[in-house]
Amino acid sequence: MTTLLEVSGVSVTFDGFRAINNLSIQIAEPELRAVIGPNGAGKTTFMDIVTGKTRPDEGRVIWGEKSVSLLGMSESEIARAGIGRKFQKPTVFEDQTVRENLAMALKNKRGPFDVLFYRRTRHAATRIGEIAQEIGLLEQLPKRAGALSHGQKQWLEIGMLLAQDPRLLLVDEPAAGMTPAEREHTTDLLKRAAKTRAVVVIEHDMEFVRRLGCKVTVLHEGSVLAEGSLDHVTKNQEVIDVYLGR
Amino acid sequence: MSTQDMPSDIAPRKSFFAENPSVLWFLGALGLFTLSVSVLAEGFGLPILSTSMVKVLGMTLCLCLIAVAMDVVWGYCGILSLGHFAFFGLGGYAIGMWLMYARTEGIVIDSFENAPIPPTETEITDAIATQIFGVVGSNELPALWVFAHSLPLQLAMVVLVPGLLALVFGWLAFRSRVTGVYLSILTQAMTLALSLYLFQNDTGLRGNNGLSGLQNIPGLLHVPQSTLALWFFWASAFALGLGYVIFAWLVSGKFGSVIRGIRDNEARVRFLGYHVEHYKLVIFTLTAIVSGLAGALYYPQAGIINPAEIAPIASIYLAVWVAIGGRGRLYGAVIGAAVVSLASSWFTGGGAPDIDLGFYVINWTDWWLVLLGLGFVAVTLFFPRGIGGLFDYLVRAK
Amino acid sequence: MRFTALFARVIATAMLFVCIVAWRPGDVAAQETLQSVLQPYKAELSKPSRRTIGPVIAALLASDHPAISDFLRKWEAREVYQRPGDGLFFYAEDAGDALTLVDIDTGEAVGQVGSREVDQIKPNAGVQREVAAALVPFELNASDPARRAAALESIARSADASQIEPLAASIDGEPDADLKTRKQRLLALLTAQFGADKADRLAAIDALSGDTSIEARSVLNQLTARRDALAETVPDGANIARVLEVGQDMTRAEAYDRLVEKDLAPPRQSAAELRDVLAEHILDGKVGGVPLHRLNTVENRAIAYEALEAAGTVPPRASDEEVARAVAAYVFYEEYLEPDPDITNAAEAALTATARMLAVYQTLDLVLDGVSLASIFFLAAIGLAITFGVMGVINMAHGEFIMMGAYTGYVVQLFIPDYTLSLLVALPLAFAVTFGAGVTMERLVIRHLYTRPLETLLATFGISIALQQLAKNIFGTQARPLTAPDWLGGAITLNDIVGISTIRVAIFVLALIFLALLLYVLKRTRLGLEVRAVTQNPGMAASMGINPDRINMLTFGLGSGIAGIAGVAIGLYAQVTSEMGANYIVQSFMTVVVGGVGNVWGTLAGASMIGFLQKGIEWLNPSNTLAAQTYMVLFVILFIQVRPKGIVALKGRAAGD
Repeated sequence: MTTLLEVSGVSVTFDGFRAINNLSIQIAEPELRAVIGPNGAGKTTFMDIVTGKTRPDEGRVIWGEKSVSLLGMSESEIARAGIGRKFQKPTVFEDQTVRENLAMALKNKRGPFDVLFYRRTRHAATRIGEIAQEIGLLEQLPKRAGALSHGQKQWLEIGMLLAQDPRLLLVDEPAAGMTPAEREHTTDLLKRAAKTRAVVVIEHDMEFVRRLGCKVTVLHEGSVLAEGSLDHVTKNQEVIDVYLGR
Repeated sequence: MSTQDMPSDIAPRKSFFAENPSVLWFLGALGLFTLSVSVLAEGFGLPILSTSMVKVLGMTLCLCLIAVAMDVVWGYCGILSLGHFAFFGLGGYAIGMWLMYARTEGIVIDSFENAPIPPTETEITDAIATQIFGVVGSNELPALWVFAHSLPLQLAMVVLVPGLLALVFGWLAFRSRVTGVYLSILTQAMTLALSLYLFQNDTGLRGNNGLSGLQNIPGLLHVPQSTLALWFFWASAFALGLGYVIFAWLVSGKFGSVIRGIRDNEARVRFLGYHVEHYKLVIFTLTAIVSGLAGALYYPQAGIINPAEIAPIASIYLAVWVAIGGRGRLYGAVIGAAVVSLASSWFTGGGAPDIDLGFYVINWTDWWLVLLGLGFVAVTLFFPRGIGGLFDYLVRAK
Repeated sequence: MRFTALFARVIATAMLFVCIVAWRPGDVAAQETLQSVLQPYKAELSKPSRRTIGPVIAALLASDHPAISDFLRKWEAREVYQRPGDGLFFYAEDAGDALTLVDIDTGEAVGQVGSREVDQIKPNAGVQREVAAALVPFELNASDPARRAAALESIARSADASQIEPLAASIDGEPDADLKTRKQRLLALLTAQFGADKADRLAAIDALSGDTSIEARSVLNQLTARRDALAETVPDGANIARVLEVGQDMTRAEAYDRLVEKDLAPPRQSAAELRDVLAEHILDGKVGGVPLHRLNTVENRAIAYEALEAAGTVPPRASDEEVARAVAAYVFYEEYLEPDPDITNAAEAALTATARMLAVYQTLDLVLDGVSLASIFFLAAIGLAITFGVMGVINMAHGEFIMMGAYTGYVVQLFIPDYTLSLLVALPLAFAVTFGAGVTMERLVIRHLYTRPLETLLATFGISIALQQLAKNIFGTQARPLTAPDWLGGAITLNDIVGISTIRVAIFVLALIFLALLLYVLKRTRLGLEVRAVTQNPGMAASMGINPDRINMLTFGLGSGIAGIAGVAIGLYAQVTSEMGANYIVQSFMTVVVGGVGNVWGTLAGASMIGFLQKGIEWLNPSNTLAAQTYMVLFVILFIQVRPKGIVALKGRAAGD
């Protein structure tokens, strides 16, 4: 297990409001990690910083064996470096078929001219088939993504992440709005994915986190409050205060 | 389940046309239209369509081509550009410079025919310059016209000028992540700046006089206009057909998938690792070049080009055509451009009969724009998919 | 002659007064009578000619007789009569068919005569001028301030050295402070130009430095006037302004032309003349041995001409080398008309200082222009900014709302002829009309398109072309006047350079009022609070019980209403046409985009920036306002690169979405 992502001393301020305050987190590869915290704890902003959407005021974000800084890179460069992100709201391309969605995400050259002269290969088709099977959407491949149910869209998005073949998966509230059966499927998906890569899950739902059975990081007011197993952190008095007190 | 058992549509390797039957339908319709116009044209067979009518139809085909380009950049890639008609105009200016220069050169050389002493090159250039720029009070050939003597160079300008302008402008705009209405306003500003620039007398393109006499093609002066009109009509039809196929190919594959993704959710595409700005730039520049080519075919048929053609309003009309025809489907753009531009010239050209309401006579030259404006509002509100949307109903009815 | 006419009028009105002054027994007793002073010159006075009258007037004035200037003035005004018998001079009063003669010394009537019994003396215009000039020193000391002022003006108009002394002498006795200043100023100008003492002149010139008045500048310009000159070597003692480098300050052709002008070199042939000469000497298809078809280059034509020249058939002409040689043999320079270099140096230095002052004033003027343009842009754009900021809606018909407001003003003037009153009616009415139009449009169209901002842009564009054409159908294509009341008609001027028309000041004030009003509405009222809430986070605002529908409707109405008022304001100084809105729409968009969305201060900043910028570029290139607009747009495009969200950008997460 080697450190894949190292966030250290990162702070970011919006209009005087400190969303992230001297945050430091390390993610190893492979690893499954849950990030929890009350509203406004800075969970989503943390992902924004890692994926290049938000530039921090200070701090370092170091990536991979070569210890590259992610701060100077654009969103697409970070994505190509191997970080995939799933948004809170399912964002799939509703006008396009499931296959097109997956094909777009499939790991391939991303330049406009590479894509323009891209030819569909049997290998790619096989890979799409495998992913579709993994997320349980094999039957839905030729369907419009807009026609999928909410849970299926979430899976499709996770499938698109898998298709990117990233080393780090950032997943924002994957289980929101899902039925219990769907949650279970999602948990399995994430656990399987975490066998070969790093997966960071942001979640509100303690039950879901428990089922993931992994190391938990608790964020509060933009910095790490506690870290450890779920049982460990839920015994932490500060965590209890934050969640239940006040 | 192993990969062998997968449904058969997993790896389809059908041909492009088989996958996109609408392209074949379109090409068929275009071919039929071209054939019937040719047969009916004054310059060919039955003198039913006058030369000017053939020209109008040829020009309409060019407008259809730029509408297709506009559809790609707006309907598929989500960039509501209010600048593509400027690229169209630039193409027209680029070819117009050669047409005007070469024709004036012919006239000047003819006029020196009877001179006792043959003219020097400077004398010829000066005479050409005086002929062309006397109207703006100048007798020097501006630096802008340095390539005007050469058709190949000026043809290169048709591609390069709109292409480079779009490349630079697009790079600046996309790089700073200007999107949505901001981008539209910015492209409109670019168009305004360009037309104001061209309106000036001292910028070397004859100010608001524009370039004229473009219908006289140097080297083909012996060919009657009726024949020329037909040739240009064929060229326009060919260009439209070719442009249509290329764009249809562009938007059908994975590339199309990506640019539609950019239209629907730019950020998501970015997080998938695509350099969104590069895609936009490719589309913006490519469509600008096609617009320039369409303009280069259009203005020799129109005969005159002036800065008013480039005014921001023209680009907005282009968006109107595409919206009325139906965005996100190439044939929709063609239908919209053809229907609205032909209807406009019919109504404003006095072709439509006045309507006598008893207390007021509706004169269409006055009221057409009101009708178009309100009709356009109605289309936006009630038929966002435009005329092309009707085809969906037909397909569904089957 | 206006001058004499003026004098005649001044004299006529003051005649009675003068007569009384002149009639002072003590004076008369102490001195010779006026008649006796005049009699030695009676021949010259009765038949005056311009050539001879000068010394006579000088001699008469030298007599220092107190009534002499009055006499001369009357004489000049053709009011003096001479009795042929004894040659005595009389004034006269009209008495029907006859004239009543008045003694020039006593002022008493001495009897009536028929008009043919005396000769009226009629000096011609030239003589009149001489007299007037000679009288100036007297006028400068006249008791009537109006006459003294007139004398000053007359000196300023035709200044010469002789006036310095009387002017200087009159200053100490001048009772009127204002006139005294004017006299001192004029004296300074005269001294600078004609002063006898060099130190005085230099001091006077120095005092003019930084003076931006037209008179001072013209004096300095006269002092530094130059003429072109040339010589084989720069002459000693000439006051040379600068030596011209051929090829840098002037072209060789220009230099040669100057030589030709002075007959120092043979004229040069133009290419066309050369061709014509060659064409006259065609012989067997050849000219000077060169076949015709080869004469299509300049070189071959030169060869042909030289062959003809050698044969003596054509006169020699200056070849390029000869021209170069001739030009090289001379020095070309500019020479001051004023021979003294100290004077010209001082004048140049003073001019430089004046130019600096001028630049300051011009900058001030430019700033005023910029402020007024910015006010217009602010008024035109603020409504757009509000709707764009609150609803994210680009209203392409905003320009047409401006037009609607202007036409409302025009229609009101048709019914209410009093311009002030009609303006007072038009402003609220324009607001009401466009408010109504805005609300209608919001309800009917925009409401349905909130999720599709680009389509709002297009739909409102559809409304814009419909409205524009509708206006054309109703009001025609020609411009309609919207006349400003008289009190808005003039201009406020600070000096020769800085000035601003009252109407623009009024628009500035209107913009200020609207700025204050909007700030008040947005910051201090419930509506404003709700509007700001919807601007920053519509979802949250809705969940807090704010009805975004109502807010949107009101905001749109408000934005449109302000456009209507802006229309009245713009219509007052520009013409009202159906296309006037379209002229402002793009600038308004720029203003909003540059300023930053959803913020009154942002719009103010944007309007100021664009207004000043446009004026600034116009100033750099005054001949071409089109170019100014072109560069302005280019600037905006580049500006967006630096600050994509405008000058005053909303920060935080809400701004990102």
